[in-house]
Amino acid sequence: MTTLDEGLDPGLEHGEPPVTTTDEQRARGVTPSSLLPTLPGRTYVDPAWFAAECEEIFERDWFCAVREDDLPNAGSFRTVTVGRESVLLTRTRRGEVRAFLNVCRHRGARICTEDAGEKRRNFQCPYHAWTYDFEGKLVAAPNLTSMPDVDRVEFGLKRVAVHSWLGYVWVSLAPLAGEEPPSFADTVEADLAERLGSLEPLAAYDVGSLKVGRRITYDVAANWKLIVENFMECYHCATIHPELTEVLPEFADGLAAQYYVGHGAEFGEEVAGFTVDGTPGFDPLPGMTDDQDRRYYAVTVRPQVFVNLVPDHVIWHRMYPMGPDRTVVECDWLYAPGVVEAATGDDADPAMAARLDASVELFHRVNAQDFEACERCQPAMGSRLYADGGVLVPSEHHIEAFHAWVRDRVEGQS
Amino acid sequence: MHHLCALDDVVPGEGLRVTTTSPPVAVFRTDDDEVYVVDDTCTHQDASLADGYLEGCWVECPLHESRFDLRTGAVDQPPAKRGVRTHAAQVVDGQVWAELSTDAPNLPPGVAGSTAVASGVTA
Ligand code: FES
Ligand code: FES
Ligand SMILES: [Fe+2]
Repeated sequence: MTTLDEGLDPGLEHGEPPVTTTDEQRARGVTPSSLLPTLPGRTYVDPAWFAAECEEIFERDWFCAVREDDLPNAGSFRTVTVGRESVLLTRTRRGEVRAFLNVCRHRGARICTEDAGEKRRNFQCPYHAWTYDFEGKLVAAPNLTSMPDVDRVEFGLKRVAVHSWLGYVWVSLAPLAGEEPPSFADTVEADLAERLGSLEPLAAYDVGSLKVGRRITYDVAANWKLIVENFMECYHCATIHPELTEVLPEFADGLAAQYYVGHGAEFGEEVAGFTVDGTPGFDPLPGMTDDQDRRYYAVTVRPQVFVNLVPDHVIWHRMYPMGPDRTVVECDWLYAPGVVEAATGDDADPAMAARLDASVELFHRVNAQDFEACERCQPAMGSRLYADGGVLVPSEHHIEAFHAWVRDRVEGQS
Repeated sequence: MHHLCALDDVVPGEGLRVTTTSPPVAVFRTDDDEVYVVDDTCTHQDASLADGYLEGCWVECPLHESRFDLRTGAVDQPPAKRGVRTHAAQVVDGQVWAELSTDAPNLPPGVAGSTAVASGVTA
């Protein structure tokens, strides 16, 4: 590894190269090869840039919206923010999941303002009572029979594309832009396959069959890209994640599991399970292979999902970018159904409940530590010093591909 | 007797709006295959009861949850305050007929009986 010259130039102005390049190096036209630039600071604070990300990324790509189990019955619903839109997800009487824009076709009132709930009959706009069934069709409205030219499907709730996989419902708003949704296999599945080497290792976890043992929602005062970047590197692990580094000692070298293809970070020798104190977790999931046992895998699925795979559970994060400086992260800890029943059911076993607590606590701490770090960066993104961004050290260089992807999506189209 | 529709036009558990009468009526066919005919327009506001929810021999208005007893027309709870007019129904050879009531209909404000239908209202 190359060592930097220590002297930082105190006189750099907006628009000049990153301060990590010294005067002497600049004079020679050299940028330290150890360092790659990040995105410029404005991409983390500028509302216009964020709007472009919404339009080109979140409102086109497959966006992981809800866990299917969040919609147990006909009329169960959830509302989520996808780009600049509110999306209403529900289940029809025939058991199919549907997603609509949460916008009344009459004069635009929000149909549902709650995050979640269950409707008995229909969705009724609280303003003038336009009433839609769970397929989105307009079924009733005051004076509707005297407006026979109003087509009940055409003036139904606007549908967006849905795709269910691994127990989650993804939505794509591409149809609103008159486009086909992207290929699910070439995007979501490809990101998982790329990191894991193929989709085959996923089979061992049977993610679709797991149940939510705990869900924690974090409201993070940071741009979504800071959270993605954080998740992709482990340069920070030894500094801010003492508990995680105890369980996964190799993280002290700063190379995240995401630096590699198909690499699982190995549990420390003394560690019994992926828990906050290394105490035993639960039995390995039924399909666990010897290769995967006692290892931790991490995958970023663009644009807004992070997955952690450990032998006895799966941690699944969904980000909802709310603005340039705010991101809500909903994190599910998924376990075998029997574990969830034993640890959280009506006749929960206190020992199993305690194990679940210790299991959840490890990554809950990691999340809290990570999000605090992201929140520490956000206010500085608008600094003049950060106009050209910061730098990536070698163990972070793979993040450049993420930056290139964002740039291409946002600027490639314009 | 007024001919309304074929029994097969009405899905069991649902209602059908028939506009050959004035004001229009709703034909309901229960899951037990009983047939009831009432005025289609809710007495609270202009909503089609045929678009409502049939449960047993009660229909719930699609807009504001007042329910009407199809046997008597009685309303169970506000916001509708007046019952709906009922018509004696008969099924003959798979065809639904009704003896239309001569009582005054309980139409909501702004909805006229025969005249509105004849003159036609546009959106
Ligand atoms: S805005 Fe929804 S019914 Fe008027
Ligand atoms: S329109 Fe029927 S109860 Fe209001
Ligand atoms: Fe971290």
